[in-house]
Amino acid sequence: MSGKAHQDARHYTVDELMISVLSSFFEDGDQACNGMASFLPVCAFMLARLTHAPGLVWLASATGLEPRPAKVPASTLESELWSDSVMYMEQYGDFWNYAMNGRWLQKFCVGAAQLDMYGNANNSVIGADFHAPKVRLPGTAGLGDMGSLGKLLYYWNPNHSPRSLVEKVDFVSAAGYLGGGDEREDLGLTGGPQAVVTNLAVLDFEPESKRMRLRSAHRGVTVDDIRAATGFELVIPTDVPTTPEPTDDQVRLIREVIDPDGMRKREFRAS
Amino acid sequence: MDSKVTTIDEAISTHVQHGDVVALQNMATQAAPMAAVRELIRQEKRGLGVVVLVGGIAVDWLSFAGVMDRLIGAAVTMEQFGLCQRYRKAVESGRVRVEELSETALNARLGAGARNLPYLPTRGLIGTDLIRQNPDNLRLVEDPFGGPAVVACRALVPDVALVHAHRVDPEGNVQYKPTTLWPDIGIFPKAARKVIVTAEEIVPSDILRRSPDRTVLPGFVVDAVVEVPYGAHPTSFFPEYRYDSDFHLAWAKVSRDDGAAQDFLDKHVLSPRSQAEYLSAAGGAAMMSRLRGEEGA
Repeated sequence: MSGKAHQDARHYTVDELMISVLSSFFEDGDQACNGMASFLPVCAFMLARLTHAPGLVWLASATGLEPRPAKVPASTLESELWSDSVMYMEQYGDFWNYAMNGRWLQKFCVGAAQLDMYGNANNSVIGADFHAPKVRLPGTAGLGDMGSLGKLLYYWNPNHSPRSLVEKVDFVSAAGYLGGGDEREDLGLTGGPQAVVTNLAVLDFEPESKRMRLRSAHRGVTVDDIRAATGFELVIPTDVPTTPEPTDDQVRLIREVIDPDGMRKREFRAS
Repeated sequence: MDSKVTTIDEAISTHVQHGDVVALQNMATQAAPMAAVRELIRQEKRGLGVVVLVGGIAVDWLSFAGVMDRLIGAAVTMEQFGLCQRYRKAVESGRVRVEELSETALNARLGAGARNLPYLPTRGLIGTDLIRQNPDNLRLVEDPFGGPAVVACRALVPDVALVHAHRVDPEGNVQYKPTTLWPDIGIFPKAARKVIVTAEEIVPSDILRRSPDRTVLPGFVVDAVVEVPYGAHPTSFFPEYRYDSDFHLAWAKVSRDDGAAQDFLDKHVLSPRSQAEYLSAAGGAAMMSRLRGEEGA
């Protein structure tokens, strides 16, 4: 991606910046769960628990409650992640009893192949024909539920590009703000996407129109860089702050304690 | 009660017919009944519908071998080992048709099937294209008690459920060692007309009586019982063994190439005449001890 011209010596990499930002959304009293291939959320939950939110409850892989893995393992959907849990939850009988209930697990951190200007997500198909798609994606899994269950959704996107941030998703596998404005509310849905953390910027949603908005640009990335990398017209405020950078202590925890094997870097395409 | 103990080829040939809807225990790289899956391929079953929560290498193989022509499920991926390329290709070319459901919608369809209800509702999926895409099985309906609309998920009754377990007695009572329960054991076998259980070991009922709290499925729903050590390989079966990274990587590497993928299937699925031969081709004792090693689950 662009922005390299502005790059100067810094004490962190972009994955660590994104983890730091994601962790700031999770607080004491929240319950968080992760899905598969979710290294950044897992790092963010572990970081939050080691710093500002020791009371953040974590349900690893929607399976193991309050686990104590030694470090981030190679999979976020295998037993190494939920080692030393206080409880195992069974998916059919137990997990969704809590997740379908508005009281618990209110925040969900997730990735999507496509995300559009109103925060609708697509993990199903690329192309117009559902039964003969150009690309068959993995499928909606639990996201299609989380989008409609009143959750606050936090997306991450390690490859901010016009292909992943599109004007209109090819297929809505998880509800965002649909056509914008009050459309989501009119269907009786609460919650919805709150933020999108990419390798270039932090985005949120303009409260009235529900259009995606630039909230902050990462250091060294210009507004023009972000415009060029987005497949639709973002709402851009007159004043765009720089994304808060991770502290030395956060970077040390991520590198030395949470993820010494660098699993968090797997999702980033070599640029 | 009569013993239900049989062989894997007998179990599959007796209980799985061409065109059946088969519910497959699976979660990306976890706990798939792989010995049963290989037998479906060896017996050249055709036209199967496969029900999964999150399918992995099993769905990739069944797509490649032409065993399945439809999928009912929430996702298909090998997680860290990438998308299932043969499944992808089969769907993109129209050979496998997908009925995509969210997790709560799949649970609701199977839950209704298990309880002999016409449907169960969920609040998931509202606002998505998945409802419009699937009018035969998903409908937005009014709440008769005056609340907001919900999604009615039509009952799904698979013809057969395939599950792998730690141990089972000859009558089919299924027991797990102290560990997490597989995500789908809670509903898949209860919704299906028939259930085939493969297990790491068959034990006398007296062993199960020592810890009845760990018995998760009663023998009266089970039709066939087969002992298959490492029956979930290359997926994980904690706390016994972890997923086989080398095996998944080897498949991921060849799976895009028709010839190389067929060679892989010949070596690992079609040629081995027994579980022992399969395990030997997959690395034998060294592989097994690696997967049970301290890195293990």
